[in-house]
Amino acid sequence: MSPALRRRENISGYLFLLPSLVFFVGFVVIPMIMCVVTSFYDANMNLNTPDVFIGFGNYVELWQDPVFIKALVNTFIIVGVSVPFVCAFSLWVASVIYKMREGLLSFFRIVFYLPVVTGSVAVTVVWKWMYNNYYGIFNHLLKGAGIIDSNINWLGDPKYALWCIIIILLTTSVGQPIVLYVSALSNVDQSLVEAAEVDGATNFQVFWRIKWRQIMPTTLYILVITTINSFQCFALIQLLTSGGPNYATETVMYYIYYTAFKLYRFGYGNAMGVILAIFIGLLSALQFRLAKEK
Amino acid sequence: MKKILSIAIALLMIAGVFACNTGKPADNPDQGNSGDTAKEITLWTYPIGNWGDEATVKTLTDAFTAETGIAVKVEYLTYADGDDKVNTALTGKAGPDLIMEGPERLVANWGANGYMVNIADMFDATDKSEINAAALSACFADDKTAYEYPLVMTAHCMGINLNAFKEAGADQYINTDTHTWTTEQFTNAVKALYAKYGDTVGAVFCNGQGGDQGTRALVNNLYGGTFTNAEHTAYTWDDAKNIQALKALYDLEGIAYDASIVGGDEIANFYNGIFKMAFCWNIAQQQNPNSAGTGAGKTANGDEIVFMAFPSQDGKAQLQGGIWGFGIVNNNDNARIEAAKKFIKFMADSEHTADAVRASNFFAARSAVEGKALDVWSSDPIMAEYTKLMPMLGDYYQVTKGWAAARTAWWNMLQKVGASDGSEAAISAAVAEYCTQANDGAK
Repeated sequence: MSPALRRRENISGYLFLLPSLVFFVGFVVIPMIMCVVTSFYDANMNLNTPDVFIGFGNYVELWQDPVFIKALVNTFIIVGVSVPFVCAFSLWVASVIYKMREGLLSFFRIVFYLPVVTGSVAVTVVWKWMYNNYYGIFNHLLKGAGIIDSNINWLGDPKYALWCIIIILLTTSVGQPIVLYVSALSNVDQSLVEAAEVDGATNFQVFWRIKWRQIMPTTLYILVITTINSFQCFALIQLLTSGGPNYATETVMYYIYYTAFKLYRFGYGNAMGVILAIFIGLLSALQFRLAKEK
Repeated sequence: MKKILSIAIALLMIAGVFACNTGKPADNPDQGNSGDTAKEITLWTYPIGNWGDEATVKTLTDAFTAETGIAVKVEYLTYADGDDKVNTALTGKAGPDLIMEGPERLVANWGANGYMVNIADMFDATDKSEINAAALSACFADDKTAYEYPLVMTAHCMGINLNAFKEAGADQYINTDTHTWTTEQFTNAVKALYAKYGDTVGAVFCNGQGGDQGTRALVNNLYGGTFTNAEHTAYTWDDAKNIQALKALYDLEGIAYDASIVGGDEIANFYNGIFKMAFCWNIAQQQNPNSAGTGAGKTANGDEIVFMAFPSQDGKAQLQGGIWGFGIVNNNDNARIEAAKKFIKFMADSEHTADAVRASNFFAARSAVEGKALDVWSSDPIMAEYTKLMPMLGDYYQVTKGWAAARTAWWNMLQKVGASDGSEAAISAAVAEYCTQANDGAK
């Protein structure tokens, strides 16, 4: 290809990229840079006091802030519970349903995908009603079955609140992985499966030696996406508990929002955002590396 | 070449960001130089009675437009996310021309942070003599700086289910004529209700800040505690009287510290008959309980609701005031500012003020308009009865510095008290921790 033709093609390519690039730069890259820059300032909402450059002051303060530490621990609990559960559960469901006839398969896909497409506010309202301290269905059923004597304040008791949030998160997180796994399992090379079976491989060996390896890219994608979603758990907290009781459900995402929009400490909130991004990046990189080794 | 270009663009972007970040003006910006009045202004209003209802507000703004030729675009905010919207708009220099809210936001927050126009020139001697002194004072940041023009005010109170009280024999502890009771009577009433119903009859709600004026007033009144000092420079809720009140509430069977609900949930539970008393109540709720439109002063099943002052040792409560009015956002455009001032004058200081007040379901913040007595509610028996509470209005301390952080500290403190073992030491420690946090925010 001549240099002139190559240049013309390059220009065409960049022109096609341009609209997306403008939005990507405007709404992702520049805010990211602003976030990093602002995190080095004692920035607030007050027009009468200029922002002061404080270097790593916000970052130092973060590690002395017990609420941030609590939020970080809660976030890791959410990630630690939800990521393995979502992967294992969705793989199990997908491996059960992917061989079903088309109508039944679609039915299950719809059932599991419904909470994903339903608005988070609507989902939260229903769960809030079910968890209600005074007339919620969980208390009604448990009391009716004689399991509890008095109502449990599910969202108002530090012992239960975080687990209640995790349960809702799980129901809204498994839909997409199930659909992806169904698709990935359907695309496994059947000739390899049949050859292994002819050679006397057990079901477990077929799964572990052939299917698992072939669906590894899907697993990696699900791991990364679920990890990021779990790290960014926010709407449920805001709508249900505001991080309480006693910070039992405080997550880093919610604490960022609270610090920036309630206390107007923009610099401090941005510093938290940077730390969160670093953690997500590190964990995602680790997942990529492990999957690559496999 | 490509690499050099990429690096140059990246450096340019970073430089731009630094430039943006440090571009905060040190002083209040100049208020523009256009001389005429704008032909259109925007108003953002919180749901202050029917000022959150589009049809009602349209009637008022249409009247304004007809008289002045200035169109008004209205956006309706909620208390759930209204602050976030306003903060984002103000910091992004995309704020409205007018905001309708109270001094805790207009004066102590957005005004103090330099986003509002000083409208002290709108208050002449006649206005100052006609506007309620407490409301007037709350609208001024200092002698020469006002960020709000008050329209309406009320006293927040509590509501009780009279039918439930009668069934439990607790009605003997309330005075339905004066709407007052003592701490001892309140305690006895809760005991009687709990004996009758065997469940939570009232909740110290603390899921968030929604309706926290109720829990603050309850705790402060029980044994005469205070929330701030008289100068509004420090938070004082760590005094022994408040700790005594928090412990008394903790120990009182039938009252629960509930970290799963806010004021709105409490009202809904009260309206639906689950609670027998509500600490988040006012005249707007009395007129239209739970905003359900099922009749004034009635619960969902028709039980009678009686509004009550908060209980105190001597029966003389210090009620929390609610003041609402208009503030002008500094958009550096004199024409828009002038139009906004005309709007305020029309709504809060003219013959149309009675209609604007009526729309709120609250009481006028002034007794007269330009010398002519303001009669809004004389024909409404519920409003007339509610005026008995107005002399009990206490200190309007919501303008204390660091108010947003203090509110958060308050409900977090209640959560910690509720989750504690109820010992005086645990409650004192929780109170001290969060009161210190609030005072740190006030520095």
